Parts: sequence; C-alpha cells; structure tokens
Amino acid sequence: MALIAIIDDDPDIIEASSLVLKSKGHDILSAGNPDDGFKIVEENNPDLIILDVMMDEPDDGFFLAQKFRREGFETPILMYTSVSKTIGFEYGAGEMVPVDDFVEKPISPDQLVEKVNNLLKEK
Amino acid sequence: MNTENPTILIIDDEKGLREGSKRLLMNEGYIVDTAENGATGILLVKDNEYDLVIIDLKMPDIDGLDVLTEIKRLRPNSVCFIATAYASYETAVESTRLGAYSYIPKPFTPEELIFNLEKGLKHRQLLLEAERLKREREESLLEVAHEKSRLKTIIESISSGVLLVNTGGEVVYYNHATLNKLAIDDLQIGQYSLDKLPDGLTDIVTRMLSEKKTVNKSFTTQYEINNGDMYIDATCSPVPQHDGTVAGVVIVLKNITGFKKIEKIKNQFVSMVAHELKTPLAAVLGYIRIMQDESIHISESQQDEFLTRSRSRLNSLLDLVNDLLDISRMEEKKVGREIEELDIKEIIRNTIKFLEFEIAKSKLLVNINFPDQLPVIKADRNEIIRVFTNIISNAIKYNKEKGFIDIDCSENGNYLTIKVSDSGIGMQPEEKEKLFQEFFRAKNKYTREITGTGLGLSIVKKIIESYHGKVEVESVFEKGSTFIVHLPINK
Repeated sequence: MALIAIIDDDPDIIEASSLVLKSKGHDILSAGNPDDGFKIVEENNPDLIILDVMMDEPDDGFFLAQKFRREGFETPILMYTSVSKTIGFEYGAGEMVPVDDFVEKPISPDQLVEKVNNLLKEK
Repeated sequence: MNTENPTILIIDDEKGLREGSKRLLMNEGYIVDTAENGATGILLVKDNEYDLVIIDLKMPDIDGLDVLTEIKRLRPNSVCFIATAYASYETAVESTRLGAYSYIPKPFTPEELIFNLEKGLKHRQLLLEAERLKREREESLLEVAHEKSRLKTIIESISSGVLLVNTGGEVVYYNHATLNKLAIDDLQIGQYSLDKLPDGLTDIVTRMLSEKKTVNKSFTTQYEINNGDMYIDATCSPVPQHDGTVAGVVIVLKNITGFKKIEKIKNQFVSMVAHELKTPLAAVLGYIRIMQDESIHISESQQDEFLTRSRSRLNSLLDLVNDLLDISRMEEKKVGREIEELDIKEIIRNTIKFLEFEIAKSKLLVNINFPDQLPVIKADRNEIIRVFTNIISNAIKYNKEKGFIDIDCSENGNYLTIKVSDSGIGMQPEEKEKLFQEFFRAKNKYTREITGTGLGLSIVKKIIESYHGKVEVESVFEKGSTFIVHLPINK
C-alpha cells in the first residue's frame, strides 16, 4: 500500500478522494494550496502526488508540477482537471505539463483507483 | 433647329432687296429677320441663333467680311452667305476662308436664292449633327473619367484592403490599406504577388484562379500579423470574364483585431464560468459516487456530513447562477430600473436589520455615523440595496469575532460618500488589485471557511459605475478593510 499526497483547494474533493483511496488501503496526506502542497511532499516523500490543475489561479497546478520536477522529485503525478477539453485548454499526458496522467472532475472512484494503481505499478 | 420653319437673317443696306427677299422667303415658310447695317445684324445674332444668315459685302458701317467674322465667332453653326454685286475671285476665296458657306452674286433670281438657301440648310443640319455627336462624345468621356476617379476615391477611402490579381497572380489593382494588412511596404502593378500573401490566403487564391468556370462563391480565411498584433479577415471572390471563365480574384482584407480581442475575453469568461460551475458539481458528484460505491464503507455520521456539505455546495451554486444571471442582465442593460428618490440612511439601516442574525453570530458591533441632513439620491432601490448588502455582508463575513463595522456617510461636493470599515482580515496589496474582478476570491488561512460566489463585488462595481459613481477600497492585511462608495447627488 502506498502513501499518496492530494493537493487541491477544494476540501470536499480532498475529503471524497481520500475516502476512496483510504478504502483501498492507501495512506493519505493533503494540502489546500501550492505552498503547503510542496511542503508535505518535501517532508514525506510520498509514492504518488495528486494535484489539482487550477488552484488559486489558473495554472497553479501546472507551476507546482513544474516546480516538483525542477527540484528533482520524480514522484508520479496524477493531475485533476476541471476544465472541459472543449473549452480551450487541451492537453494530453505529458504535453506541456510534466505530469503522468489526468483525471477529469467529477471524479469517479473506479477511474481514480484504476489510474492510481497504474501509476503505482509503473513505479 | 426648326426644320419646318427655318430662321434666316438678312443683313443688307438696300431696303428694296431686304423687303423683297423677306417677302419671298416668308412665302417659302422661312422666319425672316432683317438688319439694315452690320452693327444691327451682329446685335440680332447675339440674341438669336439663326439657321442661315445672308450678309451684304458692302455696307456703310462695317465691312461685310468683318460682320461675317464676328457672326462666325458668335455662332459657328449658323450658315452664312455673302451677297454682293462686286463679285471677285479674291473676295470669294477670302469669305470662304472666314467661314462663309457660299457666295451669292447680285442680282439673283428668287430661284437662285432659294436653291442656295436649301443647300445651306442641309449644311446647317450636318453641322448641328456633328456638334451633337461631338458634345455627346465629350460628355460621355467626361462621365467615364469622372466615374473612374470617383471609384478610385471610394476604394482608396475604404479602410479595408482591396487587392485585385489576374490569373497570372499579378497585381492589377490595390488600395493603400492593402499594404499594412499584408504587412508589406510596397506592391507594384503587374508584379507577381501571390508570394506576398499569407499561406492560407495564397492557397485559396491559387485554387480560385485554377477553376475553369467562375463559381459564384467567396472564401474567407483569417490570419494574424506579428504574432497577434493584428488579425485580418480575408475574403476572396472570383472576378468573372464575359464567357464565365475566371479573370482574376478580388481580395478584401478587413482588420478584425477588435473582434478577436472581444472573442478572447468572452472565451476566457466562459471558461471561468464553466470552471466555477463545475467545481461544486464535482464536489457533490464525488460524494454521491462514494455513497453509492458499495466497496467503500462510510458511517452514518459521515453520510450525514456528506449530505450537509453537498447541500451547502449546491446552495452556493444556486447563488452563483443567480449572480451570473444578474450580471448578464446588467450587461445587456435589460434591468427594468425604477428610479426614485432614496434616503440612503434608511437603506443602510434596513440592510443592517436584514443581516442582524449574521452580525449577532459574530458578536460584531455596528456604529452608524450619519449627519442629520443628507441629500437624497436618485436610483433604483433594489440595486442600491444590493450594493450595500454585498458590501456589509462582506464586512461581516471577513470580520473577526467581536470585531466592529463602522458606517460613515457624508456629503462631498456633488457626491454622497459612504464608508464601510471593518476590523476584519484585510487584504494583501495584490489581492486588493484583483478584488473587483469576476470570480476573484481572496484565499488564505482566514478565508477557507467563508463562502461566496466571487461575483459580489464585481456586481457592486457594475451597479455603482452605471450611476456614474465610484467604489474604492483601502485595506491593511490582518487589520481590516474600508469600502468607499461615491454616488452622485441629483440636485
């Protein structure tokens, strides 16, 4: 079982995601803004990071992902996106942002678990 | 010319000849004028254009040849005859050189005279016809020249670029605006130009030029210059020949930078709205999916909490949708305003009463400081209530427990100034800057539990500015904020 950091400014999303992942036996750390997010990752070195794409500002998630990579963290990152692909931003895994996979909100527990397991397996 | 009754002037100093000829010609259907000397004759010619003029060569005042010269100058199309008894070869030649049509030797018989005059009339007709043709040609030439210069002026005045190329891709015509819309310095008539067009445009023009028959259809493409400095909309239409084949393509280049900017703002706004709408939905759906997932165990109290959280998220979603509807109504100026005289004191007292429960919950002290006399303002009651409800409820939400709210009101020149100060969490300078933007919400350790749509202050600003007022904010982080509203007084 793995240690997973969830960084999202929506406490309800953290709560729901934590519950899903805890039910599969994972341990969860969480943070509500980019600064705290960086701190918990730095201090606990989790097996996987789940990162919301838009926190305070559009692109906050992108910048934090870039910061992790720049600082040498190779932890797999799963990014939560909430902007529909039809509206403007279009991205695929690894495109522009150094993340490993995406999950579009609203999150379905099955899909989340599947993606988390895949990333943990690759590791 | 009146062909039925030709007009004739007889200038002769011999009364007998004048009168005799007049009678004769009137019987033949001529309209006859006579003059007894050159000067009178010239005066008559100044006022009338005669078909024919007979001039006696020898008159006491002015020489017949001088009279002839003057009449030809005045009336080049009048047919003139020289009549004289002193015929000579020299005067005949001279009078013809000066413009006389023919020479009538005196004495003449009536038949001779009429024969000569009829020939003269035919000549007069030819002269008039030639004159008419010449005038028509001149007029139409003038018209063509005028039309051309008018078209040119019109096309040059158009702010859009107009470029015409032939089947060889060579420039046939262009106006000045074309140059900056293609971002080039120069174009030459006859020069190959397709390589100067942006790629997408070249493709369209090339395809149109290669068509066998002109299709009555325009194609449009858009391109940008200097990475978005300017956006151009290019419309290409084929120019047909008489037989339907393609003679060339006319390209109209329109600057659409303004539209593009608006479109971008609109897209950003739509994307922000979508994000704001989706966020609470994602949270609620997340809870529902967990509750329905049999593999995840949750306790009854957890389930209750999830339902409470979901309800609260949906309520704020509803607030958000209502705020969005208000904003769109305001933008479209669809708001049915009822302008009336408002007592600002009364409105603020009612607002505080309305928010009493929240004020009591946070144990806040509200101080109202109003002078006795305040001018009324003219505005829609609901809009002004909305402004102060938003500002005062912010002062409550972002306050500290047992804090205070001070409300001051004063007359300030042409404005009524209302200050709402709180002892709340305040703002960082960078937060202050974005405060009135749609969907901006300060996010820090103090604001986590505070709900809001992020539209309240943008609505406040829109309403106040629609009354030509102004809203300002002063703030010290962790100490408090003051919102200052200036509303014009209608005196």
